Amino acid sequence: MSDTGTYLYAVARDEVAACPPGVADADVRTIVRGGLVAYVSSVPMERFGEEPLRRSLEDMDWLAGTARAHHRVVDAVAAATATAPVRLVTVYDGDEQVSDLLERRAGDFAEVLAQVTGRREWGVKAFVDPASEERPDERSGRDGCEQAGKPGKPGTAYLQRRRANLRGREQNRRQALARAEHIHAALATVAVASRRHRPQDPRLSGRADWMLLNGAYLVDEGRVAEFAGLAEELGGGGIEVTVTGPWAPYSFTVMETR
Amino acid sequence: MSEEGARWRIAADPDTVQRDLSRLVLTIVELVRQLVERQCVRRMDAGNLTDEQVEALGVTLMRLEEAMGDLCERFELTPADLNLDLGPLGTLLPTE
Repeated sequence: MSDTGTYLYAVARDEVAACPPGVADADVRTIVRGGLVAYVSSVPMERFGEEPLRRSLEDMDWLAGTARAHHRVVDAVAAATATAPVRLVTVYDGDEQVSDLLERRAGDFAEVLAQVTGRREWGVKAFVDPASEERPDERSGRDGCEQAGKPGKPGTAYLQRRRANLRGREQNRRQALARAEHIHAALATVAVASRRHRPQDPRLSGRADWMLLNGAYLVDEGRVAEFAGLAEELGGGGIEVTVTGPWAPYSFTVMETR
Repeated sequence: MSEEGARWRIAADPDTVQRDLSRLVLTIVELVRQLVERQCVRRMDAGNLTDEQVEALGVTLMRLEEAMGDLCERFELTPADLNLDLGPLGTLLPTE
């Protein structure tokens, strides 16, 4: 096995003029084969070989830096041309292997690139506004007042109040989930393809609010304004909808490259 | 995470050990109280409790809630202090 490996970022049909440096600050090169262009850089196997990678992936700082460099390259290519991003830390033994891959999987790459041409990925997240969650408590408060009218039954009134409170919360939860389904279905009609990711942990999203929807949508460049307008309309009434993007089509191009 | 971990470690300092132990005990008592409360609501809905039983359970639970409030006040704890963070499982008690 040689000392350097070939790190693959993305596959496109065109060569992009300027590309930022890749992982470990290496220059990004291209490998051209049969009308496909692979964006790669050389990486030391002592860090990116299979065994050292297993350890490296547990090093959060290293992983964050590598992910940033990876996305910087993918974003630069995706901003200029239709791009199929490759999964983070996909490393081959050498350029030969990447060249083989382009030839062997030419059909799959062509299919993916055709799907993302003229389209970008947009992310939509929906959050429950914490202020609106207090409503069921108010409602149960009213129920409590009615019950308090029953003389000599404070224990019964207390349990009824608790019941209303618990039910209100459950009802709110169900309503919120139904709203998320509706938002996703509505956005999917404007998008060419859509995918729902698992809602993020509050520590990752940096918000304590409950994330209802974490969706990715592949949208025609001509329908972006319509999509953004619809997303804005779907928010409100205690649900906050945020749109991010455009992103490289990460959610719609993951193919096993091995 | 380490900060959170440190918060839940019981320091063997006589000044704080009482408060930390009280907090741990109150957390467990509050968890059981809430579980019993939910079970009572469920049985009340199922209709297999007499009016007298509902009233007796309700009064008991209400007094327990008041007692919890008093104890929290005495040890200068808030309801949020009793809510253990179980990481991927969420929090021990439902957040209000």
